[in-house]
Amino acid sequence: MVEWFHPGLIYLLGSPLIPLFRGRLKKAYLLLLPILAFVNLLFISKGVFLSEGKTWTLPFLGYDLILGRIDRLSMVFAYVFVIASFCMMVYALHIKEEGQHVAAYLYVGSTLGVVFAGDLFTLFFFWEIMAWSALFLIWYRKTMAAYGAGLRYILVHFCGGLCLLAGVLLHLQTTGSIAFETFPWGGESSGIPLASVLILLAFVVNAAVPPLHAWLSDAYPEATVTGAVFLTAFTTKSAIYVLIRGFPGTEILVWLGAIMAVYGVVFAVLENDIRRLLAYHIISQVGYMVAGVGMGVMGTAAGEMAINGAVAHAFCHILYKALLFMGAGAVLEVTGRSKLTELGGLYRYMPITFHLYMVGAYSISGFPLFNGFVSKTMVVQASAMSHLPIIWLMLEGASIGTFLHTGLKLPWGTWFAKEKPVRKAKEPPINMLVAMGLTSFLCILLGVYPKLLYHLLPYPVHYEPYALTHVVSMSQLLGFTFVAFWFLRGKLYGERTITLDTDWFYRKAGKRVIWFCEKPLMAFANFVDEKVMNLVHSLIWFSRNPVFALHIKKEEAKLKVKRFMMSPKRAEEHAQVLVEKRKSYPGELPKLTLGASLVLILLAFSLYLIMYLLIK
Amino acid sequence: MFRLLYGCLFLSITAGFFVHLNLRPEVHFFWERLPVFSAIYGFIGCIVIILGSKAIGHFWLQKKEDYYEKHEKVRGKN
Repeated sequence: MVEWFHPGLIYLLGSPLIPLFRGRLKKAYLLLLPILAFVNLLFISKGVFLSEGKTWTLPFLGYDLILGRIDRLSMVFAYVFVIASFCMMVYALHIKEEGQHVAAYLYVGSTLGVVFAGDLFTLFFFWEIMAWSALFLIWYRKTMAAYGAGLRYILVHFCGGLCLLAGVLLHLQTTGSIAFETFPWGGESSGIPLASVLILLAFVVNAAVPPLHAWLSDAYPEATVTGAVFLTAFTTKSAIYVLIRGFPGTEILVWLGAIMAVYGVVFAVLENDIRRLLAYHIISQVGYMVAGVGMGVMGTAAGEMAINGAVAHAFCHILYKALLFMGAGAVLEVTGRSKLTELGGLYRYMPITFHLYMVGAYSISGFPLFNGFVSKTMVVQASAMSHLPIIWLMLEGASIGTFLHTGLKLPWGTWFAKEKPVRKAKEPPINMLVAMGLTSFLCILLGVYPKLLYHLLPYPVHYEPYALTHVVSMSQLLGFTFVAFWFLRGKLYGERTITLDTDWFYRKAGKRVIWFCEKPLMAFANFVDEKVMNLVHSLIWFSRNPVFALHIKKEEAKLKVKRFMMSPKRAEEHAQVLVEKRKSYPGELPKLTLGASLVLILLAFSLYLIMYLLIK
Repeated sequence: MFRLLYGCLFLSITAGFFVHLNLRPEVHFFWERLPVFSAIYGFIGCIVIILGSKAIGHFWLQKKEDYYEKHEKVRGKN
């Protein structure tokens, strides 16, 4: 009897086999992998496999790697990753390029590896696979913009990965343990260890916390239509998972999260590209989760509510954000356009896509009966229970902005806004619509029946989302946001601009570095190179016949003196002789007798001995 | 369509008063005592977000679409 099987391995081992299948068989195989993983998770939940504890330990360099750490927290994340990967694969089923599917499943598998990692080495291993497999989902777009954005993406993630590695090694050195548990963060006696700071830094890079977030809004909108849907879910939400594991109740995260939530909203106002607008809303929504982790002080009711809220919101967010990206991706797929200034009036051609997109928009905005409502309000409630008025106001304010952009500005600018449609369009391929329908169904299901989700959360839930006060205040908030939008809708047309973000620092500074390398640094390198080569050439020349060479050098020196002291005619004669000698160089080599050679060798050895003794 | 919207808005306001007068919900912050706080916050918040962000964008952050490529084009000509 198998004790346990790693769900991530189903993807990691299954993905290289994808190119072996053709046609319908390939499609069936692609859908089979997430189904197998889901069944595996059910086996774990129902006790057929080990359902709590640590398993799959491997000895490595004297440490124990733990590939399977199973508890409620890892299971809830595993569930949503597997369910989302199924919906996303349905969406991507029409893609012919196998490489995209392989990259997508490596990405999903490695994320599950992160989720079940019980030690820091395993975490780092899967963390890195996650980074570069995601890169291919960007590069498969095959545009110059995608290549550039992908390169910047991977450079940022390599920096993050190196921080993680450095942090892990320092942590190992100070504590002697590689177990992935809560990291020390301050305390009564000690300060904050450097190892914890580095690890937190790596985690917040992946969670896209400003100012380390620009990779997300830079790269995700440049990814392939289907790749972007995968990208929305895994990197940032696995970062939330590791933050919950490593840094629950860390106060700085509360503020970072609240700033994130507002930051994304502000940038979304300015954005013209619909997928980039949605990418900024990932940052905003992940802000709620980061704030939730920060408020998650162990052992308090508010802390448990906050952690539950962060997990629930991650769960719901993965579904509705995938749905929103599917909608925006469908528009890009059929029109080839993604800028609000180039879109408008598409409702006539794509009504089904519009309505399915709107389910995602209602969900992210937190409309009652949609899944965002049952999770977002938990985090906001936790901020109220923790008595954090400014955080509460920031999070509620971000809700307004969320509805404003994803629920009003984007759909209005894409499907309406213009009297005449900008171009002819049609509904996307059927598998895309099916995927959107399936994800919409899940969004509504969890909104209507939140207990399904609440049962999976790490702590028992004592929260009633449909209390009348919550419903009424949310309805007021959203209703009057719409009123304000309608007054100011003229200001919300897309503008043909891009918005500077913190990637400016490395995109502009990067160019300066390249200029520095190409100009001053290169000139210096050439100078050094030339001098060294000159020296080498003269050494070679000298070594051909050192005795004759010394003689020529001596004659050259003599000539200089003669030019100065004697008549020009005699000097000229001497110069002629010297030119002849130079031409005949290296001439006949001097012949050494055996004895002389031995003396020379002994001389060299004695020099060597003296040097050796001196240095010693 | 707009009648329906007005109806919903009116309903949410009256429901706000109803909840506050009859159910006396638990209050964490002083502003929650105001039955229409969320409506006001939603309306003003939305205006502030739009105008504030646009101001930041126009005066500082928004650049022409070829902002990052410009430099490369100049180099390409050389």
